[in-house]
Amino acid sequence: MSVSVMRFVSSVVSIVLGGLFVYGGVQKHLAPYEFAEAVLAYQLLPVGLVGLVAATLSWIEVVSGVSLILGCLLRSRRFSNPFPVGAVLRSSALLLILGQSLLFVAVLLITLARGLKIDCGCGLFMDRQVGPGAILEDILLLGVAGWLYWREHKAGDRKEALILIQSQ
Amino acid sequence: MGMTRVTWRRELAWAVGLLNLAVILGLMFHWPLVQASLKGNLATLLDQKRQERREVQFQGVKTLDLAQAYQIWQEKRALFVDARKAEEYQELHVQGSVNVPPETWVELPSSELMKMAKTRELVVYCSQESCDDALKLAKKLKAAGFSRVLAFTGGFRAWDEAGYPADTSR
Repeated sequence: MSVSVMRFVSSVVSIVLGGLFVYGGVQKHLAPYEFAEAVLAYQLLPVGLVGLVAATLSWIEVVSGVSLILGCLLRSRRFSNPFPVGAVLRSSALLLILGQSLLFVAVLLITLARGLKIDCGCGLFMDRQVGPGAILEDILLLGVAGWLYWREHKAGDRKEALILIQSQ
Repeated sequence: MGMTRVTWRRELAWAVGLLNLAVILGLMFHWPLVQASLKGNLATLLDQKRQERREVQFQGVKTLDLAQAYQIWQEKRALFVDARKAEEYQELHVQGSVNVPPETWVELPSSELMKMAKTRELVVYCSQESCDDALKLAKKLKAAGFSRVLAFTGGFRAWDEAGYPADTSR
């Protein structure tokens, strides 16, 4: 597949992934108390920190999703000179998404191993229990984010990074 | 090699910046939740907010506490309806209850339950106080024509913790 086709595919995948994170985050932001109940049910955090996590996690999802979408929209050359803001936004948003997906998978695996039958309060479907479906969804997100991050750093796509070096 | 190091450092710095922005926005929008949690009042706040939400979302659905539910069960006045998943019901449920799991609610109009007299008293429960499934099913049953539907909001956890009669289907 040609470089431009792959770039188009990765842009579309990035926008979809970013959109999913924005959607998930907005859902949690609009129902903060239900989300706090879901976080509390995991019994992994001291109660004092549950509110902080419930309040901020939704916004971490929104900010990383919006940044990834914005990074794709600013891919054009005119936004990359003298500083490749699009490339840095995409990569930093993908780092955040990778971190969140890893955290979600770990938390879900721990919860499944503990045998807790609770609402996962995660992803696209709030009314879903912790189980293999939720874990597979997060592993898929992790794989997609990992592929996009790898694409960002592939040798052939380093033009923007070279501009970044020149801007140092 | 040098390029990779520079881009990696720059990306990480931006990621931390984005994280800080998200935390600030979260604190700005949900400060009462964070404050209640830090002060140890989270459970009270969540109970209050759940109650407020249910009053709007499930307006008109009558609710029962544990003592009232147990009294009705002892008098054998009502049919208990378990709104939890089939595997949870099979593990343990209120003695004499029937299971109507969420995945079957779309087929509710053609279910066995609908063949009963619409004046039959029904007590619907789910797993615990925080779950909404009992209220959701009670609302659907009311809409389907049952005139005496009650939601036992304490759920099976409260029933089981009180040591009231339970059965297993295994």
